[in-house]
Amino acid sequence: MAGFALLAAIMIVGALGVVLLRQPVHAALSLVGTLLTLAVVYITLQAHFLAAIQVIVYAGAIMVLFLFVIMLLNVQRQVGPRRSLPGLRWAAYAAGVALAAAVGVVAFWDGRPAPDAAVVAANLQGGGAGLIADVLFGDLLLAFHLVGVLLLTGVVGAVALVQRRADSAHGAPKGDGAAARRERAALEPGGRP
Amino acid sequence: MSAPTEAYVALSGVIFAIGAVGVLTRRSAIMVFLSVELMLNAANLALVAYARHWAGVGVLAGMTGQTVVFIVLAVAAAEVAVGLGILVAIFRDRASTDVDALAEVRL
Repeated sequence: MAGFALLAAIMIVGALGVVLLRQPVHAALSLVGTLLTLAVVYITLQAHFLAAIQVIVYAGAIMVLFLFVIMLLNVQRQVGPRRSLPGLRWAAYAAGVALAAAVGVVAFWDGRPAPDAAVVAANLQGGGAGLIADVLFGDLLLAFHLVGVLLLTGVVGAVALVQRRADSAHGAPKGDGAAARRERAALEPGGRP
Repeated sequence: MSAPTEAYVALSGVIFAIGAVGVLTRRSAIMVFLSVELMLNAANLALVAYARHWAGVGVLAGMTGQTVVFIVLAVAAAEVAVGLGILVAIFRDRASTDVDALAEVRL
């Protein structure tokens, strides 16, 4: 129980860092810490395969993608006009605290006894890949197929979104945004590089 | 001595609420995205906690929850790929990811 309290404290501090830190890179690294702690929590819940997948896929691949995009876009600390709805920030904080309190109260209200640790350990067997595969290729086979289609669609969609038009590489780029203006200036012979 | 299921679900609720606050208060689209990831992981934690709770019933009842988390991870990966592609496309067009400035998709 003390171990769980420590893990929960680390996770909550990391999550608060994601929400409160001003620099996007710092927030992303704070989220990495939260996700790694969540992997440890999975281990305490007898889900060892999911813990490994959490480290490899989430804290590894997905967060590296995030860091790449943050550094590619070079997002500065937030500037701009003040938001249109005054008091929205405090309303959001109040809603968050109320939601957390409500979920906590409801969760602790249920007096159902915790499962017997020996039975759980015997049934889950550590949550290995074999047991997950039994369910994934059995009851959830349709979901497995749909995820395959979704990943293919996602890859094609990401490529189609990010690639530049073939004609804009030679002529002046379309659009009148600041990035388009910068590109146009870089394309001119005497322009700023 | 492991913690009861209620403690894990309460932790999941707190993390989810923090992520929701982030979605509502942050203005950069990337930060909104990070907060959405936080909410997704809170849901995963609840699923794994309930999977352990129901493992007392049988192997299938316990492992189904963990397998659903596996599928959610794949869906999250696809979502991040497409979402960050949209972000890069928006940033290329207007050199900003402020969600308050993106009002032209409004009905």
